[in-house]
Amino acid sequence: MDNALYVGLSRQILLRRELDIVANNIANADTTGFKVESLMARAEPAAPAHTADGPKPVKFVVANGVARDFGQGALRQTGGSFDLAIEGMGFFQVDTAEGPRFTRDGRFRLDDTGRVVSQTGHPVLGDGGEEILVDPTRGAVAIAKDGTLSQGQERVGKIGVFTFDDLTVLEKTGDNQLKNASNLQPQPAADAVVRQGFLEGSNVNPIVEITRMIEVSRAYQSITKMMDSEQELARRSVERLGRVQ
Amino acid sequence: MQALRTAATGMSAQQLNVDLISNNIANMNTVGFKRQRAEFQDLLYQTLEMPGAQSSDQGTVVPTGVQIGAGVKAGSTYRIHQQGSLTRTDNPYDLAIGGRGFFQVQMPSGEIGYTRAGNFSVNNEGLLVTEDGYAIEPAINVPADATNVSISKTGQVQAATAGQTEPQVLGQLELATFVNEAGLMAIGDNLYLETTASGAATVGAPGAEGVGDLIQGHIESSNVDAVSEITALIVAQRAYEMNSKVISAADEMLQTANQVSR
Repeated sequence: MDNALYVGLSRQILLRRELDIVANNIANADTTGFKVESLMARAEPAAPAHTADGPKPVKFVVANGVARDFGQGALRQTGGSFDLAIEGMGFFQVDTAEGPRFTRDGRFRLDDTGRVVSQTGHPVLGDGGEEILVDPTRGAVAIAKDGTLSQGQERVGKIGVFTFDDLTVLEKTGDNQLKNASNLQPQPAADAVVRQGFLEGSNVNPIVEITRMIEVSRAYQSITKMMDSEQELARRSVERLGRVQ
Repeated sequence: MQALRTAATGMSAQQLNVDLISNNIANMNTVGFKRQRAEFQDLLYQTLEMPGAQSSDQGTVVPTGVQIGAGVKAGSTYRIHQQGSLTRTDNPYDLAIGGRGFFQVQMPSGEIGYTRAGNFSVNNEGLLVTEDGYAIEPAINVPADATNVSISKTGQVQAATAGQTEPQVLGQLELATFVNEAGLMAIGDNLYLETTASGAATVGAPGAEGVGDLIQGHIESSNVDAVSEITALIVAQRAYEMNSKVISAADEMLQTANQVSR
């Protein structure tokens, strides 16, 4: 009899989690290189909490995983010479103390030693995994569509753009960075184009997120309603059955 | 409820964004002002289910985990040291830098400040000073009887003085450059201070390799672009609004939960 309550509760837990994800998407609607996420649910057939005459098909709702949409975000022109956006599938690689991290946030700059670093100060790696050094006194830096850096006529390095055969191995670690959670090796991204002077906005679609938010809060309300009437039913049956006696 | 706090981080990030945009717009007509941009990053993720965790004894793994982000944070406020456009003033002591470099200013504290604002004047002692009366380093002394002060592209200051047919060299201006200009610390009054992030200043004559030219009779306007600032303001305002909507949705859900029958 309590099954309806528990199934409803499993849905409510999921809805709360979904709202958390929607909130994170909306909070990051203006974050460079952010990729939108959504919660996937699945039915979990489980033994009913109470069985009067044999198992009944009760299915709880559980979170199956977070789906990450790696679709292209809109490019925004900034004119900054170290503002880079990737068009197509690929990631920049930065070197952190915890190991390599991947990012689509191309807000790079030079540090005090002339290394190209990310916004978090981690060195950006070249296509061979090396740090990229630029001497700012030698003139403007031009970055080609394949990531090649040049000053004047001279090539000074190449920013590496990598991709994975399976993008689900990437795990978010914050700071717009992704971690490779498997032993899959990153591959050079052949079809990605690097655009200098552009930044990639997040691919959050505000209308979709607000719609989802409304959906979540209404669904939560209707589950509460259902649980309410379930309670009411229990209360009444106790009352009526008691009267027969 | 995480969503409440997440939306709150979104609102405070957008608030910072609006603060920066308003400062940019307020300084649209400030000589040598460089606009700032808020840089956002996503916050830490709470991993509820690890991707790649074992889902059975048979060695099957969870293909995608459940990770819930905690919102957004302002990573930094990045100052964009792009060239501002030049405005002609015809004042001989107005100098604009075309290219990289900063004027060095002797501050009262004894430190050296750096500035792009070249609207200088001569003080009562004949020294070339900034708007606030701080002397330019290296000091340029303009004699009282000097006329026709001319400053070359490469920073040589010359003037005609009474009784001399040839123009006299009054001094040589120098510019400081930094590897990472965005790492300079702004202290107001159009001044910047050197930090470890910017690297040490390299002093050189204007027009040398990697150093900008001096342009006399001009000042460098701010590099604020009104249209892009207003656009950014609209985006920030809408984003703020959306985050507040999330807060009310989360609040509504909590209210619903509280009203589950007695």
